[in-house]
Amino acid sequence: MKLLKKGAEADIYLTRWDNLPAILKVRKAKRYRNPILDAKIRKQRTIKESQIISEVKSYGIPTPLVYYVNLKKSSITMQEIPGKPVHDLPDSKIIELSTEIGRLVGMMHKNGIMHGDLTTSNFILYKNKVYVIDFGLSQKTIKPEDHAVDLRLIKEILNSAHAKIMESTWKNFLLGYKSVVGPTNYAKITNLVSVIESRGRYATVV
Amino acid sequence: MIGLGVESTAHTFSCAILEKKGKQGKILSDVRKIYRPPEGEGIHPREASRHHVENSAIVLSECLQEAGVTIKDLDIVSYAAGPGLGPCLRVGAVVARSLASYYNIPIYPVNHAIGHIELGKLLTGAKNPLVLLVSGGHTMLLAFLNKQWRVFGETLDITLGQLLDQFGRSLGFASPCGKNIEDLALSTSNYVLLPYSVKGNDVSFSGLLSATKSIVQKSKADACFSLQETAFAMISETVERALSFTRKKELLVVGGVAANKRLSEMLQDVCKRHGCKFFVAPQKYAGDCGSQICWTGLLESQVKKGVSLEETFVTQSWRLDSVKVDY
Repeated sequence: MKLLKKGAEADIYLTRWDNLPAILKVRKAKRYRNPILDAKIRKQRTIKESQIISEVKSYGIPTPLVYYVNLKKSSITMQEIPGKPVHDLPDSKIIELSTEIGRLVGMMHKNGIMHGDLTTSNFILYKNKVYVIDFGLSQKTIKPEDHAVDLRLIKEILNSAHAKIMESTWKNFLLGYKSVVGPTNYAKITNLVSVIESRGRYATVV
Repeated sequence: MIGLGVESTAHTFSCAILEKKGKQGKILSDVRKIYRPPEGEGIHPREASRHHVENSAIVLSECLQEAGVTIKDLDIVSYAAGPGLGPCLRVGAVVARSLASYYNIPIYPVNHAIGHIELGKLLTGAKNPLVLLVSGGHTMLLAFLNKQWRVFGETLDITLGQLLDQFGRSLGFASPCGKNIEDLALSTSNYVLLPYSVKGNDVSFSGLLSATKSIVQKSKADACFSLQETAFAMISETVERALSFTRKKELLVVGGVAANKRLSEMLQDVCKRHGCKFFVAPQKYAGDCGSQICWTGLLESQVKKGVSLEETFVTQSWRLDSVKVDY
């Protein structure tokens, strides 16, 4: 088995499943974390991820197919998406794909799913299709506040990692998002994003 | 180039003198007086500013004496213009303005949070780090990109310092309470599950604070231990997420809470896993001090002339990601 990536939470291996290339995602125990807390987090996230990654498929969101879940080892074996993370694409491509990303996030929210970790590394472009991965922090929730937390996170990432193209990507993202959730929800949720931002430390108080 | 820095954003009034030669900086003196609120209470802005006013002259003269320089030797004066408590900020600004106008020395308003980062970089030698700023005023993950510090994650409500202080005060400690909590936590290893709230690269501590207060009755030590374990694990996870996302190979920890040994231990483990160098500001300079203000002012003086007295402002709200860094 080849180690592909040491992610923040899990080690990602390239393996085979039924003779097909597959990804093995293992949430290894973290030495720094108290064992009781660590065990709880790893188990909870493995369950959440495997459930929701499958559920969102029925809403038309491209995600890897889950092959096998091993709760004892907190590992998930899933389909390999051999594309490139949006994070690593050229700026012009990221700007272009932002609308689609916004649309996908809108579809999740419309169906009561919060992704919880919306970064540009968690969208993979493969054969002209954008796949969503890493549902470890996802939640089933219809609360507009939770959806707003999702939007704030991707906004923060665009504003930091992609500062040069922040304006156009964010505009496109919102365009795609609005086209799915509709103008009423759009207004409500983007308004809540401002509310969350205003709660931030040393935010400019008008 | 010799500079004087004045810090007065919260509980600390401090003056420091640094000498800058090329890229090198040397701390000639750093004198501080810290306002201590009564046990169980937080900083009262008026009382803190009164403390600063009463101590400003002594701190300034001690700082000059220790450095062996006179006011006439100063090339620039810088002061912390924000973010912080309004009444406290004004004291530092008045001291700096008085010196600048009477002795005709160029004056520089400095962002206090940038000061933490710049001094941390100077003292540890970190080149291009992911910065974790953890203090009473900040809990932020930052990386430098395109002339500005960009926020990769932060707290959505209270800071790590506030979490520790507010909990500590409920036990009757005097702020800052980090050390008391750390000491009490060492006496046990009995972990009680508490709410763990990581949202992407962001954290939220308010639920954790209420929950920890509710378990105090059983055992204060267990509560302290569990609070530290949970809060620091949350921070460590967001650091890990940001390291993995930004692919930085250095981590620099600055701010008052950087002094906590358990937090350092956890972050060192994170760095080991990601093949990343670990830097932490030396304990003496992790918390608020004049050196951070002075050094940032000296850096700014490379590219800016200083501001006129009319432009010397103070502001309680001043996010560090809104500051353009040209040096």
